[in-house]
Amino acid sequence: MKPVLVIGLGNPLMGDDGVGPRAATLLATDPRLPDTVDVIAGGSDLLRFASDVPGRERVVVIDAADDGNPPGTIRVRQPTSPPSTSGQHAHHLSAIEAIALLRLIADAPVFLLTVSVETASPGWALSPAVESRLADIVSRALAVASDTQSASISDTPVL
Amino acid sequence: MSIIVIEHLARVEGHGGITVELDGDAVSDVRFDIFEGARLLEALVRGKDYRDVAPIVSRICAICSVAHCLTSLKATEAAFGVRVSRQTELLRELMYRGESIESHALHLFLLAAPDYLGYPSATALAADRAPIVILGLRLKKLGNLIQETIGGRAIHPVNAIPGGFGRVPSMDQLIDLRAAAQQGVGDCESALEFIASLPEADFCHDQTAFAALIPGEGDRYYRGDQVAISADGDRAIVRAEDYRTLTNEEAVAHSHAKHSLFRGKPFMVGALARLSVNGAPSAAIEAAREHIRLRLPSDNPMDNNKAQALELMDDVRCALGVVEQLLETGVDDERPAPVRPRAGSGTAITEAPRGMLVHSYSFDDIGRVVTADVITPTAINAASLEARLRRTVEQCADRREPEMARRLQMVARAYDPCISCSVHLVGRR
Repeated sequence: MKPVLVIGLGNPLMGDDGVGPRAATLLATDPRLPDTVDVIAGGSDLLRFASDVPGRERVVVIDAADDGNPPGTIRVRQPTSPPSTSGQHAHHLSAIEAIALLRLIADAPVFLLTVSVETASPGWALSPAVESRLADIVSRALAVASDTQSASISDTPVL
Repeated sequence: MSIIVIEHLARVEGHGGITVELDGDAVSDVRFDIFEGARLLEALVRGKDYRDVAPIVSRICAICSVAHCLTSLKATEAAFGVRVSRQTELLRELMYRGESIESHALHLFLLAAPDYLGYPSATALAADRAPIVILGLRLKKLGNLIQETIGGRAIHPVNAIPGGFGRVPSMDQLIDLRAAAQQGVGDCESALEFIASLPEADFCHDQTAFAALIPGEGDRYYRGDQVAISADGDRAIVRAEDYRTLTNEEAVAHSHAKHSLFRGKPFMVGALARLSVNGAPSAAIEAAREHIRLRLPSDNPMDNNKAQALELMDDVRCALGVVEQLLETGVDDERPAPVRPRAGSGTAITEAPRGMLVHSYSFDDIGRVVTADVITPTAINAASLEARLRRTVEQCADRREPEMARRLQMVARAYDPCISCSVHLVGRR
């Protein structure tokens, strides 16, 4: 097991929602990727990969965000607030709850890299605005995975 | 008159609720409200080519997609007189075991366990007892891995097709599966100890009938064409093609899922039913049953959780056994059995993680669907669950709403309902 894990989350059939697995696929073949990093291009169920998390020193989750920012906006956060206790979710937890769960079982820093979407509707392709940011997303993910960008990571609670 | 309404039943698949009407201390009415939108999949597949049916109907649910896919294939192959190879049967059993492992692990550790330990959610449980949640997630991953390796994807399999498989697993893939399953055997021992350590949940006693597929050659999920229903020592056998005499579905006003009654009474399907009808599948599981203090037949619906823990152990061991058998004999790179469409009908019953699942189709002479009928375990269980919810209220001396609501939700979750599966076309006259 390598000390760092990067998981790209999202549904490739839903336009920009698939930016996470798309970026993870590019990252996995990037020559700059250190030997210390495992990469998973996942679907939308973060729990499926949760048992890969314990024992890591650092976890990075790449996910799409419908947050009102211009499409392609990249934000990196380290979720800090307490976990939700609503219990109102079904078999597949929401991404927010799943990340909260991940933090608890990881015993290591979990970073959330979000990419603002233009559209998350049925379709294979990313929007041009998000597509044009792929190289930057991969570079940012590499930096976070390599611990060279901690100083620029906001501590904004997102959970 | 007072009313208790649980608008959203948490930690189950899909959207449902519970309504209790009390007249003083007397129970006037208890309803398991299923208001998830009807999926209409039975209408959607009409006119479709037989090859398109399994991929479409597996979309009924993401948790039970293997069960829907394979039951659909089994019914389609029955209609066309297709006999699949022994290897195909083994690989399909393996897929089923994988789905059951994933589903039971998820239910026991993330959905049911927080109730027993006084936590509002799996996330809250993980804050205090992370190793328990990690254990459940590791078992869930094993189930996912099996489904992904054999079915081509973790959900909504694409590799299982009429007559067999599009591609058989490689020896390297099977070697990986063996290693994962070997770890899973140890994890199941830990899981069983965890289940044995949980406090007893004992607040509803009600005799019921149980129905389950009679296993075919040791396979308790996929093979077999007859269902046994047992109650009070009586036992009846129903052939798959006569399933309507067992299910007797009827629409009810408060639910998008039909209710099933056998001889006018509800019956239960699922893990507890399988163990009650067919007994423990091995001496090891029988010993484990005694260890976790599960008495059969059980009149306590909460015992379905214990039954799932036993099945989890059996599933992992059997999955390992199938993988080892395939590694020993080698995997034949066979093509699917030939399929020649013809006019006719076919019905199949299998055991999904939550209980017996029925798919029945009729086709025209070029293999297009004329009619389709899908009956899911959660729909079958709806009447039984409703009866048990009523008993729970009647047998609860503490009439305060929070305590009754807690017990009602625990009983409902013990049935492990998959509400998304339970809603299909409801015709009312």
